[in-house]
Amino acid sequence: MQKLFDNIKGDRLIWAIAALLAIFSFLPVYSAASNLAYIGGNGNTFTFFVKHFMHLFLGFSIMYAVHRVPYRYFRGISMIMLPIVLVLLVVTMLQGTTIEGANASRWIQIPIVGMSFQTSTLASVVLMVYVARYLSKIKDKTITFKESILPLWVPVFLVLMLILPANFSTTAIIFSMVMMLAFIGGYPVKYLALIIGAGIIGLTMFILVAKAFPGAMPNRVDTWMSRIENFSNGVDTEEDYQIEQAKIAIASGGIKGVGPGKSVQKNFLPQSSSDFIFAIIIEEYGLIGGMVVLVAYMWLLFRIVIAAQKADTVFGKLLVLGVGLPIVFQALINMAVAVELFPVTGQTLPLISSGGTSIWMTCLAIGIILSVSAKREEIKEQENIEDNPLEILSEAI
Amino acid sequence: MAVTEKDILNKLYFVAGCMFVFIFLVVYKLVDIQFIQGDKYRDLGVKRAVENVEIPANRGNVYSADGSLLATSIPKYDIRLDAVQPQNKTFQEYIKPLCDSLAKFTGKPASYHQQRIRKARANKNRYYLIARDIGYSDYLRVRNFPLLELGAIKGGLIVEQNTKREHPMGGIAHRSIGYERVDEDGNVTRAGIDGAYGEEYLKGTNGHRLKQKIGNGQWKPITDYNQTEPKDGYDVYTTIDVNIQDIAHHALLEQLEKYKADHGCVVVMETQTGEVKAIANLGRNSEGNYYERRNYAVWESHEPGSTFKLMALTAALEDKVIDTSDVVDTKNGILSFYGKKVRDSKRGGYGKISIGKAFEVSSNTGIVSAIDQHYRSNPKKFVERLYQMNLNQKLDLPILGEGEPIIPHPDNKKRWSGIALQWMAYGYGVSFTPLQTLTFYNAIANNGEMVKPQFLKEVKEFDETIVPFKKEIINPRICSQETVSKVKQLLKNVVDKEHGTGHKLYSPNFSMAGKTGTCQKDYANKDKLNYISSFAGFFPAENPKYSCIVVIHEPDKSVGYYGADVSGPVFKKIAQKIYTDTPLVDEVETLELVDAKTKSDFDTYFELAQKYKTIMPDVVGMSAMDALALLENMDVEVKVKLNGSGIIKKQSVDKSIKLKKNQVIVLEAS
Repeated sequence: MQKLFDNIKGDRLIWAIAALLAIFSFLPVYSAASNLAYIGGNGNTFTFFVKHFMHLFLGFSIMYAVHRVPYRYFRGISMIMLPIVLVLLVVTMLQGTTIEGANASRWIQIPIVGMSFQTSTLASVVLMVYVARYLSKIKDKTITFKESILPLWVPVFLVLMLILPANFSTTAIIFSMVMMLAFIGGYPVKYLALIIGAGIIGLTMFILVAKAFPGAMPNRVDTWMSRIENFSNGVDTEEDYQIEQAKIAIASGGIKGVGPGKSVQKNFLPQSSSDFIFAIIIEEYGLIGGMVVLVAYMWLLFRIVIAAQKADTVFGKLLVLGVGLPIVFQALINMAVAVELFPVTGQTLPLISSGGTSIWMTCLAIGIILSVSAKREEIKEQENIEDNPLEILSEAI
Repeated sequence: MAVTEKDILNKLYFVAGCMFVFIFLVVYKLVDIQFIQGDKYRDLGVKRAVENVEIPANRGNVYSADGSLLATSIPKYDIRLDAVQPQNKTFQEYIKPLCDSLAKFTGKPASYHQQRIRKARANKNRYYLIARDIGYSDYLRVRNFPLLELGAIKGGLIVEQNTKREHPMGGIAHRSIGYERVDEDGNVTRAGIDGAYGEEYLKGTNGHRLKQKIGNGQWKPITDYNQTEPKDGYDVYTTIDVNIQDIAHHALLEQLEKYKADHGCVVVMETQTGEVKAIANLGRNSEGNYYERRNYAVWESHEPGSTFKLMALTAALEDKVIDTSDVVDTKNGILSFYGKKVRDSKRGGYGKISIGKAFEVSSNTGIVSAIDQHYRSNPKKFVERLYQMNLNQKLDLPILGEGEPIIPHPDNKKRWSGIALQWMAYGYGVSFTPLQTLTFYNAIANNGEMVKPQFLKEVKEFDETIVPFKKEIINPRICSQETVSKVKQLLKNVVDKEHGTGHKLYSPNFSMAGKTGTCQKDYANKDKLNYISSFAGFFPAENPKYSCIVVIHEPDKSVGYYGADVSGPVFKKIAQKIYTDTPLVDEVETLELVDAKTKSDFDTYFELAQKYKTIMPDVVGMSAMDALALLENMDVEVKVKLNGSGIIKKQSVDKSIKLKKNQVIVLEAS
């Protein structure tokens, strides 16, 4: 055990935040599972507990393994992984799993283990690493737009196009994260505007095609189309029902909450253990509990910024930001959905929501960040630089 | 492009700043939902998820006077199958055993059930009826059948419980025990005692329990206790005596069937208290079967005919305008008033007879001419005398729908006519319900004290009496004792005297008194002419215990229609059975026969056992079992060895010797 702790490298606070969120996650997940167990299962909530534990255990194993990999290898790994991810996305799209009769080809079955896996989440991490690699590669060059199309935008748009039919919200989030990373990575802003324009045109084309040939596209398109429409014009829908239930949960939580496991709304909120878990957290632990979770993510954001600052290379910085910011961003989106700032998207709350893929990919991303911060520690130890009081302070917080 | 680390960091700060703005917005919305819109959503939450469920109180039972259950509420179950719900594998696996079980349960072949259930599944029937209105034990049995035992989700079992009001005594007094029914529109039909006392006593108060929704159609109680406990309804003890009721019911039924009558009723009332011991109302349906259709005794006001002659005579006697020995001329059996004729049933009349005899032979002309003679000039006096005897008043019964009594007043020009008085004298132009007529007869039997017919003895909650019902007196004295004695004698003569119309009922074994009535019904149209045969009276004649009325409407004229023939036998049967056949009188006092020897043996034993605790008693001559018991129950533990059985001949230790612990005593018995 001691040896294991000795081998833990990287920003200890990021480790701590991840661990705290993971430990805390058992409470709302276990509570919310009672409804699933009652309605769908055999009434045994403990299986949900064990399952969540297994997910987290596997997730932290991934985190540990990944953070031991020197981060310079991720350049190469992303190059190898990108084609694999593309193949997986194609496979996912073709196999056609349905949700409520609508095509929601988001998961593939992992052979042998028997678990399902959401490929778009993996694609997101791989793509962000790939983009970070590209941006760091061109950091000293002046490139034209044309030059960047093939190595950067073709892979990006390929991934996005494969995800889009089944999952608009994830596509949109990945797209904006790529845009953000490109912006931070110094990619010319005027080119970005062009890409955004192209993205919008592409999306419009896609929607028009989908509308013109209703049979040609997976009808999931209609679902998210109507979601956006309804969010803007306020028609009563299933999503409105969910949002209303979420708001009831938040309102009945009050400042102190109704107490662990006492949530009422978990019975009515679909996806109470994943998409709407933030509402359940507030119902059970009140505004205080909700703020603690929020602060934990802010703290994580802060540590990511610190890790980026301290990264020794441009690739390291972009890598940290590329995989780190989406975690916080996704958390914010999840909360925004619960408080009706955003339309219902189906984004999980990283590290807290139940669901293997979300946990594993978040752990993978954190592993990468830790790998970068571990490298710096290594350098520091080797060079034995004089301690800067400011740095000590920032590491302590 | 020449990106420096500083560029990256600056842009990062910008992005992080944007995120902080985003976080601020989330917090703002959170606070907005919790505090500004909080009440609205909290209310909505309660509205959506909390329900105040009513817990129905158990309706009280209706009992007979002796505690037999007359009406009670029991749970009944409908079992249905959601034929679509079970998975195919489960369905195929269990369908055969299920149908085998159903075959045993219903008596129909398994193939029949299998075909129907498979069809239900094919037709996507999610509400296939398996059994309706089954009792609790059957429900337990069916619930454990294959497939159904898997429950609602896996097996598709649907159970619907509802409470049914049952009458354990079956059709007997069904209408008077009554019921309370609510139709879809919420209109309530209340009949009989159950209906009359439903609101006040039987119903109880419903309880409430807060339940929280935990899923579609699934609710859980919020607390361990009910917010308001349901309070069960009180039990109502009626005055009905099931034995008398049974006799009355079957006597009436037999006679109705014999005379193919339309309907009829019997009421038996306890003379002193007015307690209704039996009330039977039977009507014929289109198939010719009789059952309790309407409460004729309470509801049906009809012209009484000759039974009213008692009222007329009582009024005249009380006014002291006539005496029973006064002679009237029956005028060859026909009297004429304004061209309308009063006829006697005996052609040619009875000649000149006393008023008493005119009553006994039920001479219409005799009674009519007597009344006509004395009241023609002042009919008001006669009517008001009748009013004084409370005959124009409803009995004000708890059972709803009592018929209105009609005695027209001479001041009421619309109803009064030139022949009203004369017709009234023999029971036409007036109208009473059988129960109202009986109440008057009962008052005569009760020496002038008119008591209200009583249906309830008491209202109880378990063993505790909540409301006792006491005898209610309508009029403590409707007429003088002298009048009572005279008319009582006349009523007795109707049965006893050979010329009396009720002499067919005469029995040397027990005495009865009463009046026959054969009243024409629908006489306006000769083709439709029908009869109402009645008999009202009391028994025993000397010291009346019960009064009883029998009214039978529209007997088949070809079989007979005279009150004495149609209704009389019912009266007689009731009187006879109450006084000779039922164990009410023949009851054996005690079944415990005491054997003198056993008693003396026990006394000896008991005496010795009290006296000898440590000293050897004399057990010679005692039975071996008694001796053994005696010695083994002494204060000193001794060992008894018994040889043989029967009577003790010899004891190894002499009497009066103090016994030691574990001493062995040998007893020799023959």
